[in-house]
Amino acid sequence: MGLRYVLLRVVASAAMAVAATLVVFLVAHTVPADPVLAQLGDKQSANPETVARFRARWGLDRPLHEQYGIFLARLARGDLGESIASRRPVLDDIRQYVPATIELATVAGFLTIVIGVPLGIAAAVRRDGWIDHVARFLCLIGVSAPTFWLAFIVLALFYGGLEIAPSPGRLDVGAGAPPHVTGMFVVDGILAGDWASARNALAHLVLPSVVLAAATIGIVTRTTRAAMLETLGQDYVRTARAKGVAERGVVRRHAFPNALVPVLTLAGLAYAELLAGTVLTETIFSWPGLGRYTYQSALAVDFPAIMGVTLLVALMYLAINLAVDVAYLVVDPRVARR
Amino acid sequence: MMRSASTLRRCALTLLAALLALAAGSSPRPAAAAGKTTLVLGVDISDARTFDPARQFEYSSPITMKAVYETLVTVSPGDYGTVKPLLAESWKLVDGGKAWEFKLRKGVKFASGNPLTAEDVKFSFERLAHVKDQPADLTENMGAIEVVDPQTVKIAMADKNQPLLTIFTSVSYAVVDAKAVMAQGGTSAKDAEKADKATAWLDTHSAGTGPYVLTGWTRNQEVVLERNKSYWRAPAAFEKVVLRHIGDGAAQVLAVRRGDIDAALNLSPDQLESLAKDANLKIVSAPSLDYMYMTLTSSADLNATLAKKPARQAVAAAIDYDGTIKGLMGGHAIRPATFIPIGLGGSTEALTKEIGYKQDLAKAKKLLAEAGVPNGFSFKLSYGKASIAGTSYDLVSQKIQSDLARVGIKAELDPMDQATLRTAYKEGKAQAVLTFWGPDAMEPYLWAQPSIGRVAKRVHWTPSKDIVDLVNRAGGEPDPKKAAALYREYERMLIDQANYLMLIQPVYRVATSKAITGYQLTAAGWQVDLYDVKPAK
Repeated sequence: MGLRYVLLRVVASAAMAVAATLVVFLVAHTVPADPVLAQLGDKQSANPETVARFRARWGLDRPLHEQYGIFLARLARGDLGESIASRRPVLDDIRQYVPATIELATVAGFLTIVIGVPLGIAAAVRRDGWIDHVARFLCLIGVSAPTFWLAFIVLALFYGGLEIAPSPGRLDVGAGAPPHVTGMFVVDGILAGDWASARNALAHLVLPSVVLAAATIGIVTRTTRAAMLETLGQDYVRTARAKGVAERGVVRRHAFPNALVPVLTLAGLAYAELLAGTVLTETIFSWPGLGRYTYQSALAVDFPAIMGVTLLVALMYLAINLAVDVAYLVVDPRVARR
Repeated sequence: MMRSASTLRRCALTLLAALLALAAGSSPRPAAAAGKTTLVLGVDISDARTFDPARQFEYSSPITMKAVYETLVTVSPGDYGTVKPLLAESWKLVDGGKAWEFKLRKGVKFASGNPLTAEDVKFSFERLAHVKDQPADLTENMGAIEVVDPQTVKIAMADKNQPLLTIFTSVSYAVVDAKAVMAQGGTSAKDAEKADKATAWLDTHSAGTGPYVLTGWTRNQEVVLERNKSYWRAPAAFEKVVLRHIGDGAAQVLAVRRGDIDAALNLSPDQLESLAKDANLKIVSAPSLDYMYMTLTSSADLNATLAKKPARQAVAAAIDYDGTIKGLMGGHAIRPATFIPIGLGGSTEALTKEIGYKQDLAKAKKLLAEAGVPNGFSFKLSYGKASIAGTSYDLVSQKIQSDLARVGIKAELDPMDQATLRTAYKEGKAQAVLTFWGPDAMEPYLWAQPSIGRVAKRVHWTPSKDIVDLVNRAGGEPDPKKAAALYREYERMLIDQANYLMLIQPVYRVATSKAITGYQLTAAGWQVDLYDVKPAK
């Protein structure tokens, strides 16, 4: 257990990510749509020479196994090929859209943890009290309200109605992006000392991240509450109370750490889901993120882009699972001893 | 425990307050204010792929292309048959009608300061042909280009009986600054498909003579244009133009109401209605040259009944065309008689009334009996999950289904994603398709020719020699009136054939702020000429 375990996991993860691309490759090729005919204009797609030229450009004229072989050979060189829809390297597309998504997912994930976990604890500690009822109500709304509806309501209220939120998009109209380092405008703004940009970017993050967090907060709160209720009913908690430990100490030192494992698992999954992008929220807030790119690539049957996104999302899921497993080592010493 | 809960509450409140403060702190400058030096359009630019004139072939990008580049000749909104001068002062047919000779306007400079010469025209057009990207198909009838003198250029036609002059109005025929493009790795040589390296630069810069210059493009975010200081006419009205990507119509409504954008370009009929009474806004409109149409196959292998002409004619006679336009488009659409849209080649609303299809259920029943299916028949109607001018194919297909049911014809609806639909349609595998046609250039031949060519193949119809001759004569006819008469004959034959039923030619509408004037929609492909847009006095 320890370093060797982590290393093994990393290797296995990479292999699984590549395996995932094979599955997606095969599934994508069963669709009866031709990406070249779909992309070309009406006149162009009736010109056999033009069609042949475009097919050859993306290797679509070769047998399937060769196409996948080319994908793997390119991948080994760190090249994901050229997107059929955007006509530029898939890696460039991903490099543009991923930072926007990471920025949004991280803020939403942060809100999820700092609101969901304390709310869950409070709901469990004061079970059936007012805070429990309020939390249950909020969770119900957050989980069950359709995201696009919530997104639009929030935008209409805070941007259209109260006029306190900025316009959809990552920055104000015409405000240039800070010098590119990470592609995350808040981070880049801070790194460049360009406080106006950082502040502007952060303000544009508020509404979409709250909308995204609404659903995940609900799930994390309910899970935290359930896990806390379970540990609060355990013998060691009763023992602690019998020893005369203050209730605050019981919650903090005895109950919460033991309730952390399921919460951690769930938070990891929620973050991964946020990172994979969210089409509806991105559409309404004109957020140039990965979700929309994935959606557009799928509609265009843009094989190179679909493969690139699959690989990336698989890697993100695996990396987060790995991080969660490593975190178990920290929160639950028994895992390490096993 | 009490303390723990109250700490929690305090934290939560602090966080909420911080979020609100942050959101409120950065209230943006409304576009309407600030002395109006910047024009902001709210538009879906997710289709933009490039701003290289030799490669661009998208829907939203021509707005930008028209603002930064100019063509030899152009057309005015609503009058698409009259070719007008732009970079060329005059032109004439030479060499026995086999070539066009253009005299260039004197004193025109590119934004770089380089003067416009015939060499630039030659370079631009040859590069367009040799880069061999999508718009290269518009160069089919372009022959050799000869620089007669620095102000005169002669362009041969591959076939003098086919149109070329009208095609020069397309933004694909933008004249670029040859020196500037070559400096960025551009070439017009035969091997330009591989050798040309200027696209990456042209995506975020421009090399044209237009009233604005392109200074930035961030995909799915915005396109930024700035005033061209050495423009040959009066300088453009705005220092800066921003095409802001707002993909969602509802968000465009909020933004135009608030004054963050001066025009909202992608609104549905409902959204436009909701803005009609806003005192700060004005809805501008113009008929497009786009249309939604339905094809019916002639292939007995695909559908034995549809293959019979009277059965197709019965379908044509059963559809409630006016009800579709009124009910689904709120009346904001017209309908061409057949494949040539209203506004080109003599196609008018009056012509549709005269020779086009109309609903006549008794006639439909008679035709069904003639086809040997008095009790009706069924066919599969395929369409994409998309919409035109805010009205979805779903709605239109349901309307058609219910109309046809009245005479016993059963349309089985077959929705699919656009990519699958286009594949099935282009490969000629569908019985009936509901789809869309948009203009390549302002030349009726570009509609008529495919209707008896590649589109006819998709519906498995082999046109007679008569109709092919008619279209070719019309295409080579330089007098628009004579051409229109020939097209009318062709249209009658096409209508009798009943493979194509034109349903909706939308009137496009844009909500604009009253802080601007001159926003005039055009169907010529570039949607609006931003040079005409000015701040309101």
